[in-house]
This record gives sequence, C-alpha cells and structure tokens, in this order.
Amino acid sequence: MTAYSRPFWPLFLHVLGAMTLVGAILTVVIVSWVAWRRPDLVVLRRAAWTTLLVVALPSYIVMRGAGQWIYSKEGFSGKNDPTWLGVGFGVADAGLLLLLITLGVAYWWRSGGKPLAGRIVAGLSSVYLVLLAIAWLAMSGKWG
Amino acid sequence: MSTAQWLLMLHITGAFFLVSGSVTAGVLNVLAWRAERPSESALLLRLIKVTVIVIGIGIASTLIFGLWLWHELGFGIGTWWIWASLALWVIASALGGRGGKHQAQTRKLAEQLAAAGDTMTDELRALLRDRRSNALSWLAGVATIAILVLMIWKPA
Repeated sequence: MTAYSRPFWPLFLHVLGAMTLVGAILTVVIVSWVAWRRPDLVVLRRAAWTTLLVVALPSYIVMRGAGQWIYSKEGFSGKNDPTWLGVGFGVADAGLLLLLITLGVAYWWRSGGKPLAGRIVAGLSSVYLVLLAIAWLAMSGKWG
Repeated sequence: MSTAQWLLMLHITGAFFLVSGSVTAGVLNVLAWRAERPSESALLLRLIKVTVIVIGIGIASTLIFGLWLWHELGFGIGTWWIWASLALWVIASALGGRGGKHQAQTRKLAEQLAAAGDTMTDELRALLRDRRSNALSWLAGVATIAILVLMIWKPA
C-alpha cells in the first residue's frame, strides 16, 4: 500500500480523524440543541460529555498528529505556505482551545445539570462545526 | 479554482457528510444501547433520523460529483479502484439501509414502552443489542472506510 502512495497513511489518518471529529461535534450539536428545549433530560448531558471525551478528543489527536506528519513529509517550511494550509492549521489550533473549553463546560453541564451550561455547549459546538466546515472546504478546494 | 478543484471540493464535502453522518448515527446508536430507560433509548434513536438526511446528502453527492470527476479527470473506463469504490458504495448503502430498518423497529418498541411505564424489558434490550443488525451497520461503516482507503490510495 505504501509503495503506491504519496503519503497514504498520514493523509488517510488525517482525513479519517477529521471526518470522525466532525461526526462527534455534529452529535454534540444535535444533543445540546435538543436539550435547549428539554434541559431535564440527563441522557443528553451524558451523551454530549461522553461523545466529546471518547470520540471528539481522540479523533482530534489523530487528525492533528497526522496533519503534522504530512506537513513535515511534504517539506513545507512555514514561508509562503498556501492559504488552505494556513486555514487548516488555524482552525485546528484554535479548535483545540474551543474543544477543550467545550469539554470543560460539558463536564459542568453533566455534573451540575445547569441549563446555561448546555446552552453554552450548544453555542460552542455549533461554532466549532462551522469552523471545521470552513477548514475542510479550504483544504479540499486548495484555496489560494 | 478549476472545474476539477470545484468538483473535488464538492465530492469531498459529500464524503464528509456521509462519514460524519455515519459516525453520528453510530454514536447515537451506541448511546441508545447504554440508556437505562426506554424513553432515553427512544429519544436517541429518534435523533438518528436527523443523521439520515446528512447521510443521504453524502450518498447522493459523493456519487454525482464522483462520476463527474471521473469524466473530468480522464480516468479510463477500466479503472478498477473506481469500480470497486462504486461496488462498496452500493454495499454500504444497502447494509446501512437494513441496519436503519432495525433501528426504526427498535425505536417503535422503545416508544411504546416509554408510554407504558418507562421500564426496560428484555425484549427491548435484546433488540438494542441484536448482533446481526448491529453487525450490518458496522459492516456498512467498514465498507465506507474501505472506499476512503481506495480514494486516497488511488492504486495505479
């Protein structure tokens, strides 16, 4: 498999990690928006927290680690890198902060059951989903 | 951006819809198995309906823009990995559809039990953890990942 590829494994892991991350964040968006109207449902709080911890965080690590692997293999230097690469790294790095904050608020929501926490999770995860969509469009369309 | 770049972007966007929607459906399904009450299982299984729309958009757009790209990039009619991907696309869609029917049946029972005391029964537990139906859904996922492998690998 490696013989045919440019960088098969890093690209495969990067794409699979990114798609899984988007799926995890989409799950959190769905459950947290449903919980906005039904804040009494404990199952939705647990779902958001578990999904962020067990699916989103590991897939982020795979996506970001494989992205760095491709970056070093392809010989980019940081000087005159294409726009799509900057968008990808920008979203990935800012996204980590957003992901960790969402994880923290989701923990607060799960343990305290405060509806406000659920609403913050809904807002943060929605913003993150939009940023991830911008990143995949920029990287797949090779903007700039 | 060239036509090929636009098509590739739209094709990959379709793949994001397909794979991410499948991940969401899988996560909600696993959470439904682990739920303690039928009302919780019913809610989580109902939410899978949202992902069916996402997956449907992904299925349609990967095929449409994929076939267009095939023509645009000038791959030959005998390009085996594209044919293999198409076969896997059909298999994944069929298996996913079968798994979805089982989930709908499970959801109906969960909703009935939720309305009648909200107590978990062995029948619902057995449906939620039915090996054959869950295997169909997981195999659909494996077929989708195999398509991703072929698309990135592009064997000569």
